[in-house]
Amino acid sequence: MGKEHSNTKRWRLLTALAVVLCIITFTPLVIPQGIYKPELFGIPYTLWTGFLITVALVVLTYLGTKVYHHDEEKEGGA
Amino acid sequence: MKFWILIFGLAYVGLLLLASLKSYKKGRSVEDFMLAGSSIGIILGVLTYAAALFSTFTFLGMPDFFRRHGVGAWIFLAVSDGAMVFFIVWFGYKIRRKVGELGFKGVAGMISTCYGNKWAGYTIFLTAFLFLIPYVGIQIQGIAIFMVAAFPDFIPSWGWAVLIVSVMLIYSEIGGLKAIVYSDAIQGLLLLTVLWIIGINCLNDFGGLGAMFDRVEKDNVALLSTPGPEGLFTPQFFIASMIAIVMIPVTQPQLTTRLVVMKSMKSMHLMAVAVGAFAILVITPTIFIGMYGVSFLQDTLAGLPTAQQAGTFFRETFLYRQPGMIAALALVGLIAAGLSTTNAQIFALGSELRGLLPYDEKTVLRITKIGIFIFALIALIFSELIKDQIAMLARVSFAGTALMGPMILLGILSDRKISAFIIVASFAGLVVFLLSLAGVVPSTVLGIRMDLLLFLVLSVVALGGYLTGKKVLD
Repeated sequence: MGKEHSNTKRWRLLTALAVVLCIITFTPLVIPQGIYKPELFGIPYTLWTGFLITVALVVLTYLGTKVYHHDEEKEGGA
Repeated sequence: MKFWILIFGLAYVGLLLLASLKSYKKGRSVEDFMLAGSSIGIILGVLTYAAALFSTFTFLGMPDFFRRHGVGAWIFLAVSDGAMVFFIVWFGYKIRRKVGELGFKGVAGMISTCYGNKWAGYTIFLTAFLFLIPYVGIQIQGIAIFMVAAFPDFIPSWGWAVLIVSVMLIYSEIGGLKAIVYSDAIQGLLLLTVLWIIGINCLNDFGGLGAMFDRVEKDNVALLSTPGPEGLFTPQFFIASMIAIVMIPVTQPQLTTRLVVMKSMKSMHLMAVAVGAFAILVITPTIFIGMYGVSFLQDTLAGLPTAQQAGTFFRETFLYRQPGMIAALALVGLIAAGLSTTNAQIFALGSELRGLLPYDEKTVLRITKIGIFIFALIALIFSELIKDQIAMLARVSFAGTALMGPMILLGILSDRKISAFIIVASFAGLVVFLLSLAGVVPSTVLGIRMDLLLFLVLSVVALGGYLTGKKVLD
């Protein structure tokens, strides 16, 4: 019961982080209009920040699989 | 090049044949044929999901998007895919639980059962039909254009299109979904390999990553930031695209089916993570290919009308400017990418049709197979009607099907008796969206894109439907 509760809390935290990442993607923090500096290894700003956000979302997905109903044996499927 | 096309082509056809025969089972049930016995493991799962998702649209559309609109294309697809795979962790669990209760005969059939109203299923089927067929058509056409470029004066593009559709129908008829899954695995790997080989070739011509962006800065600096030279990549475009892409597992039946047929929850979860990694891997080389077009094809494309630029860019980058062996591999990779998405979508339409048929198993299987044939035929005809704008057509396809998202999610999640109003509203939303595409009604209202506005309205209607619904007693 305790483990389930803490997993739920972790899942909510991960979801909140994913939502925040998505929201900041649509702000000038990631897509400043007409600005491509600072560059990272020559890569324009929007591209490298977008890349980091994508990687972060995949990492959050991985962490999500560890806490969201990950150990359920009896479940659906066709 | 022709020698290599023959070698790779034969190897590819041989593998498809092997996949079909390995999947063939005498006296198979409808479940075996349509749902591959619901026993897909992690590796096959990743590759089949990825192959169904990343199609000609990724292979050709994304390099062209980077070439025309710049680095914002990464946000459009890769970040949205990242959000989608996170969403799969949650949605995959919910739908598999629902399928455990109700069984699965396609999304349309299942949602009809959830609402106790067959019109919910009809609306979903109609939407899938209207938005998947053009997308399938453009993929067939994309392959046909390349085949004509590789074999000029051999057979016309429609001849190639017929050949492609015939191959697809034959192997899906022999092996059912299992054959499609195996062929997707081959196609997913091929897609990734080809894009990286060509991507690295393009990058080498620049002399490295930094040198590539330095050159593009000189050639067209607007490509290095949003909104891009044509002003396409606005925050609103990104938001609407992300919603449409996140809704793909809910509203594109070929992908919903792939979540359902995974062997276990664990393999479905791991598949989501791996698809996210696959997305990064497969989209990255398309940046290099697109930027190559910007800097090395400037003169070649300069005098051409926009509609012709894409085709010339594809032919030059993937065929004419590659060594013969790589060009042949690219051609086979392109066929693979197009075929995997085409067969997944046509088969899914068959699966959706199956869920709406009230007959016995044998009759349902027969009608479904006829349905698959007819859908393929319609897509084939459509492929001759539209010849450019692959990436934008894909986006319209995602946006159109996404309109059904609120109704489907409400049906799956709700434990209440929901009013049929959401079904009527979703149908009305579909009609308004179609009218906006036809230019009969405006494509923006008060500065808000029509697809985004309709999705928001339908989400509010779904929420209202849930809050006013009566709780069903066990």
